[in-house]
Amino acid sequence: MSRNRRTAAGWLVVAGQECRDLWLSGRGPLLLFVFSALLSTMTYVTSINKVLNFLEQREAVNLVLQVAVAVGALLSMVVAADGISGERERGTLESLLLTPVSGRAIVAGKAAAAVSLWLAAYLVSVPYLLVLSRGVGIAGPAAMAGVVVGTVVAGALTAIALLISSLSNSNKVSLAASIFLLLVLFAPAQLPSGRPQGWFFGVLRQLDPISSGLAYLSAVLVTGHRWTQDVSYLVSPVAITVLAGGALGLAGPRLVRLAAGGNGR
Amino acid sequence: MKRLHAVALLAIGLLLGSPVPAMAQKTSIDVAVAPTELSVVLGDRFTIETRLTNTDNAATGPLLAHLNVASLDNSVYVDPEDWSSERSQDVELEPGEAVTLSWELQAVNPGQIAVYVVVLPYGADAAANQQLVVSRLARVDVARRSTLTAGGVLPVVLIVPAVLAFAAIAARLRLRWRR
Amino acid sequence: MASLTVEAVELSKRFGEREAVRQVSFVAASGDVVGLLGPNGAGKTTLIRLLTTVLRPSGGTFQVAGLPATAAAEIRRRVGVLPESAGYPGHQTGEEYLRYFARLYGRSRAAARVVADGLLAEVGLSERSGTPISSYSRGMRQRLGIARALVNDPTVVFLDEPTLGLDPTGRSQVLDLVGTISRRRGATVLLSTHTLPDVERACSRVLILDRGRLVVSGGIDEIIAAARVERLSDAFLAMTREGSV
Repeated sequence: MSRNRRTAAGWLVVAGQECRDLWLSGRGPLLLFVFSALLSTMTYVTSINKVLNFLEQREAVNLVLQVAVAVGALLSMVVAADGISGERERGTLESLLLTPVSGRAIVAGKAAAAVSLWLAAYLVSVPYLLVLSRGVGIAGPAAMAGVVVGTVVAGALTAIALLISSLSNSNKVSLAASIFLLLVLFAPAQLPSGRPQGWFFGVLRQLDPISSGLAYLSAVLVTGHRWTQDVSYLVSPVAITVLAGGALGLAGPRLVRLAAGGNGR
Repeated sequence: MKRLHAVALLAIGLLLGSPVPAMAQKTSIDVAVAPTELSVVLGDRFTIETRLTNTDNAATGPLLAHLNVASLDNSVYVDPEDWSSERSQDVELEPGEAVTLSWELQAVNPGQIAVYVVVLPYGADAAANQQLVVSRLARVDVARRSTLTAGGVLPVVLIVPAVLAFAAIAARLRLRWRR
Repeated sequence: MASLTVEAVELSKRFGEREAVRQVSFVAASGDVVGLLGPNGAGKTTLIRLLTTVLRPSGGTFQVAGLPATAAAEIRRRVGVLPESAGYPGHQTGEEYLRYFARLYGRSRAAARVVADGLLAEVGLSERSGTPISSYSRGMRQRLGIARALVNDPTVVFLDEPTLGLDPTGRSQVLDLVGTISRRRGATVLLSTHTLPDVERACSRVLILDRGRLVVSGGIDEIIAAARVERLSDAFLAMTREGSV
């Protein structure tokens, strides 16, 4: 069997086991249940609003989708932050390193399992999108925009968290650093109106992958922009996915080792 | 005296009968709107056109044509910004010149809606107390689609969390049974 | 004549200023059970990690299962390892755990199930195969770890402190397994421990490490004779306090 086929099989086996641990141990379904309770509340409150106009109903659809993307992507990030540092903490990484599966394959498998949380959150949100879209005709665009934007944003957050996890010896540090980085990226997008202009500040405001992705969703679903009109909003999440994912892919063997830092394999 | 009265009455009649009163002290502009009646369904996008004609023998100077939307039903609140994001267009007409302006709207509220255009002088030199020019009313009847109701969402609102709660409990029980 | 399955030539590992392993050279053949003895900090675990490609050497070369150090992934296919402080995923059952590792070594789902069931029977855990590992005793976890080390039918098995923390019954069970591995499978076993009775019971040859250096290697009787003492423990103490013999 060629090395590449072994690698492909390896990441699938890792992904399969990680998904089993996530979904059959009860943690995944519990998280989704809490998420669905939130969506149910939002949907019911929207439905009893007698004076809801057409645009506000579109905004309600957009809000549900934004919650799905934000929550799903954040959950993926939390799971990914445990990916390598958690194995180190639990003492299970050495056994994994002793198998023929490469560091790259280990990372790929864990990334796939983490992103499964976003995909599950998206699937849970679809029935809510369908009922809320009744009469405003945006179910199709909402579903499509949601899966594209959400996957890109979840990919970005997962890649960041896995990279940080591979550089941390402790789960607490890994999770704290991931959330801190996200806040740092998030802050410029919250600058008040009257904020500084220019390309530099424009780039700074679009750095946060979550805010950028959500802004794109609003532009398409509420403002009615074309798909390509605001595609610059997606540059940030795509760039982060490529950069962080690329770093993991290229440096996987060096990053996935017994202890972060110091001499590796 | 009778002739004077007749002339006065004729003048008043002309004024009342003409489509648009002239802008006082400045120039005369006709504003025609089309269509004047329209039936759409909630969410539909449609176009209203207004044709501005300078009927005077002097140029108009800078003018601003502004679109307004109002509900003909007291119980419905209409925010014109929701109907159209491009509600102002500036024009300047030479003597005898006419221009057609297009207005893109989306029917955001159900019911009977009035759409009209106001033309006013534009710029820092615009004097106060000038008579504005208003178009005729374009009446838009917006029919509802099947809309969101509490009863309609209840199945989803209840079933989805119930299914996931069942799955979470089943996973926990599976773990417990294995011990 | 048995073939050489492990060959280390002046193997060294440095962590900053500290030399954890210093120019260690030795060989082991198939069927050998080699005891790796030494006080805490002698470099036993580091040596095992070098030979199993978890760490890269700072100097020297080695071959394991006939493969050079450069063929790291292939070496990992041919060796089985029980690390010193191995952790286990508590929510997985023993059977799930072994199936997972069998699949990581390229087995199909069906083959992985067969391998897992066979190994659990071999290490005496069949009755607990369906219960979570979190409910296993320490001895059961060590046996599970040995089973995992055998999942790829290895040529060389490295066991790092397999009897650490076990009661006498547990120790005896593990040492019986060690004997089974070498006799029935013909594998080479490197058993790292600082428990001398384990070495005396299970091993045919001994390597004694002290402060990263190999101070002596050979059969137990040879070492005792060379140290002019009566017991292996005396030889060990003499060699690790006063230098090589």
